[in-house]
Amino acid sequence: MGPVIEAQGLSYEYPDGTTAIRNVDTTVERGERVAVVGANGSGKSTLQLALGGLIDPSTGSVRYFGETTDAEAVRERLGVLLQDPDDYLFNATVREDIEYGPAQLGVPRDVAERRVDRLADQLGLLDLLDRPPFRLSGGEKQRAAVASVFAFDPNVLLLDEPFGAVDPQYRERILDLVTDHEGTFLLFTPSLDMVPEVAERVILVGQNGSIVADRSVREVLTDSSLLVENGLRPPAPVEMFEGVLDRDELPLTVSEARRYLLKREQ
Amino acid sequence: MTGVVARSAESITGALRAVFTAEQVAAGDGFLQQRDPRVTLLSVSGFAIAVMLTRSLSVTVMFGLITAVLAWLSAVPLRRLATRCAVAPFVSALIVFPQVVLLPGDPLVQVFGLAVTDAGVAYVVLFTMRVGVGVALLSLIVMTTKFSSIIAAMRELRIPVTLVWVIAVTYRYLFLFFDELWRLILARNSRTTGRLGSRGGWYDAKQLAGIFLLRTLDCGERVGQGMRARGGDRPPSPYRRSRTIDMYDYTLAALAVIVMVGTVVIRWGL
Repeated sequence: MGPVIEAQGLSYEYPDGTTAIRNVDTTVERGERVAVVGANGSGKSTLQLALGGLIDPSTGSVRYFGETTDAEAVRERLGVLLQDPDDYLFNATVREDIEYGPAQLGVPRDVAERRVDRLADQLGLLDLLDRPPFRLSGGEKQRAAVASVFAFDPNVLLLDEPFGAVDPQYRERILDLVTDHEGTFLLFTPSLDMVPEVAERVILVGQNGSIVADRSVREVLTDSSLLVENGLRPPAPVEMFEGVLDRDELPLTVSEARRYLLKREQ
Repeated sequence: MTGVVARSAESITGALRAVFTAEQVAAGDGFLQQRDPRVTLLSVSGFAIAVMLTRSLSVTVMFGLITAVLAWLSAVPLRRLATRCAVAPFVSALIVFPQVVLLPGDPLVQVFGLAVTDAGVAYVVLFTMRVGVGVALLSLIVMTTKFSSIIAAMRELRIPVTLVWVIAVTYRYLFLFFDELWRLILARNSRTTGRLGSRGGWYDAKQLAGIFLLRTLDCGERVGQGMRARGGDRPPSPYRRSRTIDMYDYTLAALAVIVMVGTVVIRWGL
C-alpha cells in the first residue's frame, strides 16, 4: 500500500503570531478514509492547506506518495477543496470553473467534457453550467466547487466541509461521490454526524492545534468526555444511548439506532 | 448605503460587476461568436490598434460605425456595449479636458476669463472618441468570445506566456475584486440606517476603502490557494475552442488588414 501523505513535525504560525497547528505528525496510507475533526478555530482548515501543499509550514514537512515534498509535482493527484466555495469559483461560468482543473492539469478535453457532464448531472448543475458562479446560491456554489475538485479525478481528496450549505438531497449525492471515490480521502469537518458513514479513522484536532486522538471512528465518537473537552458533541445516537448500552454497542448513526430499536421490539 | 461617494461606489461596482460577468452574449449565435477565436482576437484588436493610430475624426467615426455594425451582427445590444464602455472614455475626457483651454487655436468662447479654443475642443472630442471606440472594440472581443477561448487563442498564437498569464490573472482578480466590493457594500447596507451628510459619506467611504483593501488582500490569498489547488501554478492552458477557418473568417481578417493599412496611409501619408 504505502503512505500517500506523511507529515512530520508540522506547525504553522500566522503572521499575527497565532499558532494554528502545532507539531503534527501523521501518516495517511493509500486507500484510507480519514475524518479530521475539531471545533471551530482548532486549525483543521490550516492543517488541510498545509497537507495539501498550499501553505508552507513554519516547521516540519509533508511527503507525498513516498516520492517528494513538493506538492506541485504531484498536484494532479491531490484534490484539495477549500472551505469557502467562493475561493474556488473565479471563472466566468460554472462550466469553465469545473473545467479549470482538468485543463490546467493536462486532462484531455474530451475526457474532461464527459466528466463535467457526468458531475453536473449528478450534482444538479446541468442548468447552471453557463451561469456566472456569483449568481448561484450558497448550496449551488458548494456543489459547483465539489464538482470542480472531482473533475480532475485526483487520487487523494482533502475536502474541507464539502457538505457546507448543501440541502439534504444533494448532501446525499455528494456523500455518494465521496464514498464511491476509490482513492484516499481526508474529510475536514466539525460535524460528526457524517463521519461514521464515510470514514474508518478519526484524527481529532484539539483547540490548541495539536492532534489529541488518532483512532478508529468508534473509539473516538463514543468517547464523549474526550469530544466535549475538545469543543465537540458526540453524534445524536451516541448521546441518546449513552448509559443505556455498552460503549462498543452504541449506535453511531441514525440508521444503526433504528436497527437497534427495531431488533429490540422484536 | 448613504452618501454620494458610497452611492457612487455602489453603482460603479454594480455596473462593472456586470461587465466582468456578462458572457451570456458570448454563448449566442452572432457573427463574431461564430468566428474562430484567433481570427476575432487578431482582427478586432487590429481595428482597435488602427483607432489608436488615427488622428482623424472622420476615420474615428468610421471605426465607430464598424464597431456598431459588428455589434449588431453579433447580437450585442448597443446599449449594453455603451454602458460597458462608458467609464474609460469618461475618465479619459476628464483627464484631457484642460486641453480645451491649454491648446492654442481660435477662441470659441470665454469661460472664467479663459479662452476655449477650437483646437482644444477638437482634441478632447477626438481623444475621447478614440478611447471610447477602442474600448468598445476590445469589449466586443470579450463579449462575443468566452474568456477561456481568448486565453486559449493567445496561447495558440504564441503570445508570450507571461503576458497571457498576467491577462488571465488580472481578469479573474478584477472579477473577484468587484464581487468582494459588492458583498462588502451589501453587508454594510444591511447594518446602516439613516442618511449621512457629505462629511459622513466621505468618512463612511474612507472606512469602506480601508476594510476593502484588507479584504481583497485576504481574498486574493485564498483565491490564489484555490487556483494552485487545481494547477494554477502552471501556465494558463484552457481548452482550445478553435474552429475551421471559413470564408467569413478570411473576410474579417482581410477587412482588418485593409483598414489598418488604410489608417497608416491616411495618418502618415505613405
